[in-house]
Amino acid sequence: MAMEQKEILRRPSVWQPRDPAEAVRLKEAFGPDAVYVAGSTLLRTQWEAGTAVMPPHLIDLASIPGLAGIAEQDGELVVGSLARLDDCRAHPALADKAPLLVEAIKQIAGRSVRNQATIGGNVVYRVGDAMPALLALDARLDWHDGTGSRTEDVSEWLRAPSAAPRVLTAIRLPIAEDAPTSNARRTFAYHKVGRREAFTPSLVTVAIAAASAADGSIADIRIAAGGGQTVPKRMTRAEDALLGKAPDARLLAAVHEAILEDYVPAPDPFAADSYRKKTAANLVVAALWKTFCRPAEARG
Amino acid sequence: MLLNRETSGTRWRVRPDGPPKVTGRLAYLTDMSVPGMLHGMVLRSPYPHARIVSIRTEKALAMKGVHAVLTCEDVPGLNRFGIAHPDHPVFCEDRVRFVGDAVAAVAAETAELAAEALKRIEVEYEPLPVVDDPEFALRDDAPRLHEHGNVLHRNDYAFGDVEEAFRACAHIVEETYSTPRQMHVYMETEGGLFVPEADGRLTVYSPTQHGLMDRMQLARILNRPEADIRVVSSPIGGSFGGKDELNVQPYGSLLALATGRPVKLHNSRFESVRAGLKRHPMRITMRTGTDASGKLLAHRVRVVSDAGPYSTLSAEVLNFAVEHVLGPYRYEAAEVKSVSVFTNNGMSGEFRGFGGNQAIFALEGQMDRLAEKLGMDPWAFRRINLRKPDDPGPLGQPIAPTDGARQVWEALPASRLWREKERAAAEAAPAEPWLKIGYGAAFVMHGAGLGVGIPDPAGGRLTLTPDGKIEAAFGYEEFGQGLIASLEQMLIEQFGFGSADLRIVIGDTDAVPDSGSSTASRSTSMMWQSLRRLRAPFSSRLLGAAAEALRLPADRLRLGEGGIRDAASGELLLAYGRLAELAPEPIVCETSFSYPTSPVERVGSHYLYSYSSVAVKVEVNTLTGRVRLLDQFHAVAAGPVVNPQGYLGQIEGGSGMALGFTLMEDAVMKEGVYLTRNLDTYLIPTIAELRGRFEVLPIEGLPEGDEHGPRGIGEIGSVGLAPAIAQAVYDAVGVRTAKLPIDPEALQAVPDFESEEVEPA
Repeated sequence: MAMEQKEILRRPSVWQPRDPAEAVRLKEAFGPDAVYVAGSTLLRTQWEAGTAVMPPHLIDLASIPGLAGIAEQDGELVVGSLARLDDCRAHPALADKAPLLVEAIKQIAGRSVRNQATIGGNVVYRVGDAMPALLALDARLDWHDGTGSRTEDVSEWLRAPSAAPRVLTAIRLPIAEDAPTSNARRTFAYHKVGRREAFTPSLVTVAIAAASAADGSIADIRIAAGGGQTVPKRMTRAEDALLGKAPDARLLAAVHEAILEDYVPAPDPFAADSYRKKTAANLVVAALWKTFCRPAEARG
Repeated sequence: MLLNRETSGTRWRVRPDGPPKVTGRLAYLTDMSVPGMLHGMVLRSPYPHARIVSIRTEKALAMKGVHAVLTCEDVPGLNRFGIAHPDHPVFCEDRVRFVGDAVAAVAAETAELAAEALKRIEVEYEPLPVVDDPEFALRDDAPRLHEHGNVLHRNDYAFGDVEEAFRACAHIVEETYSTPRQMHVYMETEGGLFVPEADGRLTVYSPTQHGLMDRMQLARILNRPEADIRVVSSPIGGSFGGKDELNVQPYGSLLALATGRPVKLHNSRFESVRAGLKRHPMRITMRTGTDASGKLLAHRVRVVSDAGPYSTLSAEVLNFAVEHVLGPYRYEAAEVKSVSVFTNNGMSGEFRGFGGNQAIFALEGQMDRLAEKLGMDPWAFRRINLRKPDDPGPLGQPIAPTDGARQVWEALPASRLWREKERAAAEAAPAEPWLKIGYGAAFVMHGAGLGVGIPDPAGGRLTLTPDGKIEAAFGYEEFGQGLIASLEQMLIEQFGFGSADLRIVIGDTDAVPDSGSSTASRSTSMMWQSLRRLRAPFSSRLLGAAAEALRLPADRLRLGEGGIRDAASGELLLAYGRLAELAPEPIVCETSFSYPTSPVERVGSHYLYSYSSVAVKVEVNTLTGRVRLLDQFHAVAAGPVVNPQGYLGQIEGGSGMALGFTLMEDAVMKEGVYLTRNLDTYLIPTIAELRGRFEVLPIEGLPEGDEHGPRGIGEIGSVGLAPAIAQAVYDAVGVRTAKLPIDPEALQAVPDFESEEVEPA
């Protein structure tokens, strides 16, 4: 009986690996009896709600040195997977070179959660609200599989997530510089809609990154949409319709139609799919209209 | 004059319990711990409706560190609770009727052990068909949840020939309104510490809105004299009606007595959602008609209220709704039929506004719809049908006459917000073409006190204590509303005491007189009444004793800060401490009376009413269908402002709750099971929703000779906002809302950029 009491009252073992390879070895050793933990903000809600059971072993990724940095490197922004969301929000290089991501991060959960949660956790969750922004920014992910590092596109991770015991170490964002001599403009938009204004689970998220050519046509555009348990996806039909064109009311109506078809939200008990489709389509076309169509004098 | 910090001047005081609350220094009752205490937990039904086949507790009891496992077999007295009609089992015997129903409770040395012990209690259930819809529950073929059927209470009221009156109508509007299962979301969930004392008594440290009522109910369950139980019930981290009924107290008390050790229970938010009360979801169908000039002729109402499985105050809430679906308007004929129905949904019960919120959302919706049919301004339309000061109340009963209805009606068009609306057409369009602005208003007449037929005692006690304090003892509770601050302010302003002279005693059944409950917008009114009654006797006792001690005539003395002062010069002549020593006998004055009621038979009829008009400005984003409340104005006619900060706080706080009720809050259930199990899915407004402008205009004047003083304002701020927002949304986007919370999808529109290109902004 005494043993049983101890077993009941035990806390999980917390393992503190010193490098990603050790973390992977621990995960390989414990299998389903262990989970990787970083900020643990999501896991704790799942444990408390009983939707996940706290396993006997926690592998604390925050103990690995060097994974929380944010730096510019060879034309890329490299964001360590252990960077806290609030550190990302406040980082000058991200604000300057990836304002779309900063805008998305600002709207994740509440301040106290952003102080603990990591960007890597948001990526590994797959339905995190930063993901549409990362898709629109063409981000790549660095994973350590125990023997070495491998990079994959964020779209690949969303499309077909590997179940291998590997650790996300960094998120790489290409830095798209405006050519200094051209009139090309880079623009972005991020919108999140939940059931309230702040500290809310999302129903719909949309992210747009675009570049317009000197003639006002769209030279480059990526539109991603997610929300709730929906795995974010590029809205490729809408992108195709827009590429090379200068948007007008008629084109925006076609884009609206395309998004209604392309965007398939995962069911949410608190909002109808029809509402979420309409919301995604409305937000995208309104953002495009503001950027490309609004009469100049009205642009704030 | 608008009520705010600036206009209140020196009457805006730092509340005595403010600093410890905002710094976190204050220990709430659920923060209390004592050495050697056990942790209690309750096993609740996983099924909304099931027969209990068997309960086996042996395995849980065998665990080391588990000190008690209790079931219905272990209740020495009445295995039921319920303020009005005790039909809620402490522990279910053979049947569970909702997912919060208690089956067993454990006390163990740690919370983790207690949780594990719950898992080892073996309960065999046989699931029964779930009655999750009140309309279904009313059908003959619905399973019967209680021996007497599924009707908890009916209340009908009618006057005049309503059929005849409808025939004479030029315009008729019919609509069915429905309102959500709103949760109180007090920050402090239910809990407490239960201590068996050495002398055999039991001390219950657990929040409630009526300590003496809890004591009576616990005595009934424990089969002990009330005098053997002490209930300490304040301070409370929020209640809003939700902690008036017993919650964890029966389990804590039974476990403490069974183990002979202190037991602590504190609900997690999940357990609070599952077991706690919610506002009654109501479906209210109204058919209302006017003649061609806009005079109301006929009003027919049917109210169906979802009570959940047991009674608590569901009948009383329904009675309140019946009164308030009639409201401040005059009709030629009216007919109200209402029913409160048992279901296997979550427990419904008392909640700030008490059925008025649902009723007035529907009634004001009718007024706006009728005005539109008539082509009239909705506010002018209301005026045609508004009661006069000497008119009887909604149920034909005499009520204390005031001019509040006219006063708040007139205040609204004069407000800054409404004058801005008049100019709005000339103003610049919103920044984005998909943002639409709208204005709306609503009228509220809200009763206070428990009403005819329900014991509604009031009273209090003033004492000069041996250590020279002026002690004010009342059986009321502090749950954040500022009761202590209001009492202190009245003692200072009405008697002349200084705050350092005072000792306020509340929330302890061993120390307070029977003042009745802290509910129904009644406490401040009743404290004011009590002090008015105590003022002459207590002052003259103090001054008389001082005159004797000082050998001065009493009329040369007055009460003041620190002690007895020279009436002319203000010089301090005798400190209260010294007076206490010199007085030949203790100076104690007590008063006891009842909340004033209308001299009629009809149960629940109210006598004192507060009036309010509410104007709002909203912005609807037609891309997302989401509504933002930009600006609000509340005129409140409720007599003098006792405590400016408390008054403003009540209206602001009530409005915040009403905003949640209108836009987002709903404890969603599916087949008797909550889908919103925690605050990550049950969403309440945050500061992001509540940062719009806010103005409160108190109308303080009362008719000459009025003896009732300040009326209740604890609930009225939570009532008028929903219909005002619904009308503002209609003004903005042309969509009528009859169901709360407002569904954003109904307000969405595909942006039309063709027209934007033709007419650039």
